Amino acid sequence: MNPPNTENIYLPKLAVLDRVVDDIPEVKTFYWRFEDPAEQAKFKHFRPGQFAQVSLFGVGEFPASLPPSPTEEETFFTIRQVGSCTSALHQLKPRDKFAVRGPYGNGFPMEEYEGRNLTFVAGGIGLIPLRSCIVYALQNRAKYGRIQVFYGAKTPGELMYLTDLRAWEKGGAMECHLTVDRAANGWDGHVGVVGSLFKKSGVDMPVDNTTAFVCGPPVMFRFVIKDLLALGFKENHIMSTLERYMKCGVGKCGHCCIGVAYICVDGPVFTYEQIKKLGEDI
Amino acid sequence: MKARLIDSGNVLKIVDLLRARGREVIAPFCGRGRDSYFDTVTDENRAQVRLHLPNPYYPPKRFVFPHIERLMRVHGKNGAMTIEPACEAPPRAIFGIRSCDVAGLWHLDRFYLGRDYRDVYYERRRKNLFLVNMVCTDPAQDIGNDCFCLCADTGPAAREHFDLQLMDLGDGQFMAVAGTAAGEELFSEPIFRKGTGACVERRRAILAEVRKRFGTTTSWFTATVRYVSQGTILEKTWEEIGNRCLECGGCTYVCPACTCFTVSDRQVGPEEVERVRIWDSCGLSGFTRMAGGFNPRRAVHDRRNRRFFRKLAQYFIQRELAVACVGCGRCAAVCHGDIGMPSIVEMIRRAAPEPPKNEPAQH
Repeated sequence: MNPPNTENIYLPKLAVLDRVVDDIPEVKTFYWRFEDPAEQAKFKHFRPGQFAQVSLFGVGEFPASLPPSPTEEETFFTIRQVGSCTSALHQLKPRDKFAVRGPYGNGFPMEEYEGRNLTFVAGGIGLIPLRSCIVYALQNRAKYGRIQVFYGAKTPGELMYLTDLRAWEKGGAMECHLTVDRAANGWDGHVGVVGSLFKKSGVDMPVDNTTAFVCGPPVMFRFVIKDLLALGFKENHIMSTLERYMKCGVGKCGHCCIGVAYICVDGPVFTYEQIKKLGEDI
Repeated sequence: MKARLIDSGNVLKIVDLLRARGREVIAPFCGRGRDSYFDTVTDENRAQVRLHLPNPYYPPKRFVFPHIERLMRVHGKNGAMTIEPACEAPPRAIFGIRSCDVAGLWHLDRFYLGRDYRDVYYERRRKNLFLVNMVCTDPAQDIGNDCFCLCADTGPAAREHFDLQLMDLGDGQFMAVAGTAAGEELFSEPIFRKGTGACVERRRAILAEVRKRFGTTTSWFTATVRYVSQGTILEKTWEEIGNRCLECGGCTYVCPACTCFTVSDRQVGPEEVERVRIWDSCGLSGFTRMAGGFNPRRAVHDRRNRRFFRKLAQYFIQRELAVACVGCGRCAAVCHGDIGMPSIVEMIRRAAPEPPKNEPAQH
């Protein structure tokens, strides 16, 4: 739960764009910081899995996952250009200003996973919200058991954070298994949906004492959940982070409410057990 | 709670007293036919303020949650950008707010000021608002065909959450009840005089009589709350309800307990942008549509389902201490498809829920 807040909850704080890095087509990473260092220091206490509201004045505001771990120095968003606000963000140049408020949402309860194996299953840009969690776990490596990442994208060119994934894999801190739907020039890795990685020869996937994190497009989500349940995962050990159209981020505007849950304050992190009870398609 | 008596001819002097205390006073006026509306009292229109009239369709919630409300102004471009929060909360009083609408405001209080975050825009306006509640006692004027406050347990006389409550005793006197210290403060004015035991008895008798003078509209929530909470309403029932929805959003805009809004930026000068929030409706198709076009709630009946789940599910009732319906009957009056709250409650109550699994076969 977020602490009680007497501030103006809708008032964003000015932020400056430091640099922009291309990730995959249509997706860029925006490194930014608050103009006011005090705001930056306050913001840095976010938890993996939380999100922020990003303002492009004159265009609007949108919710964005926080891909950095609080243990990392820089703050950044990784954003796909899809609507008017994200397009406006993509137009920005270094030193341009925009505004941010947050962090919001429940985030992943990282303490609860201590002593457990962590299995991350991501599809497409679903890796963005999980990145925070992965980095946090690697930074606190001794607290967690085995860490595995299963990640799939449509084509090799659409695999995100590749440099990061390769770097984290080095030294055996975690295992990373990649797959693509369609191989392209030079791809000698696995081809197939993410779920097919679980049964690939040479992959040893722990189920007992393991928490799985699933994030990706709805169709991928449905199939991966099926696969995980078939492998013996318990519904309350499968985590996901949901997204919805959102205006306020603080449980007031009503857009993100599904079933009894306001995604912005009760989520965005839910167990599959909770998601099932929400009673609507995710 | 302290009570006083006041002559009918002096009741409007309460408006004057509130105005003299620096408040903008909002009061109900008659338009054409049975049309009525809330407006600011001025020296010119003061004599037209009505004590008995149909409750306006356009609910008074807009005085704490305006249909379009400026949240902030942003000046300048990249060089020197400043964000200036808007802060408009004039001291106001609503004179003649009905008991159902008082309950509506209380619902908004619990919602906007509850849980983890407080909505400061709402809070400022609400703190500066004085409520003079008028009890509905005139069956011909005050009580409409669609009123069902009896079922929602909000009227005809509010029990709390007002500053001052007025009730016409029908004998040239009104009884005034103070709900807060601010309301009681008015009793020092000479227009109020001490009540008698007979007046209290008369008040009780009138209320008992008024309860019998309501129309045929009822909304018995219990069974519907159970079916909604258990999720046993058949998809077919929702489809029937959805087929009758014209997706105009009217029910949400007239609802004193609806809270949803959208946020929009608009250019107001060459280097000035204004961010406003605007009432939104879960009945409209774009309500859940995300950038890129994916809409998790595409079918109209899913959106109807959503509205009534939010208002009637046990989970929210426990959290907010009441169904999110105050029985004002506005949705029933404005809906062209006749799927306001009373009709929905009845349709769900009458439709067969999902049959119990172990029921023997019918012959």
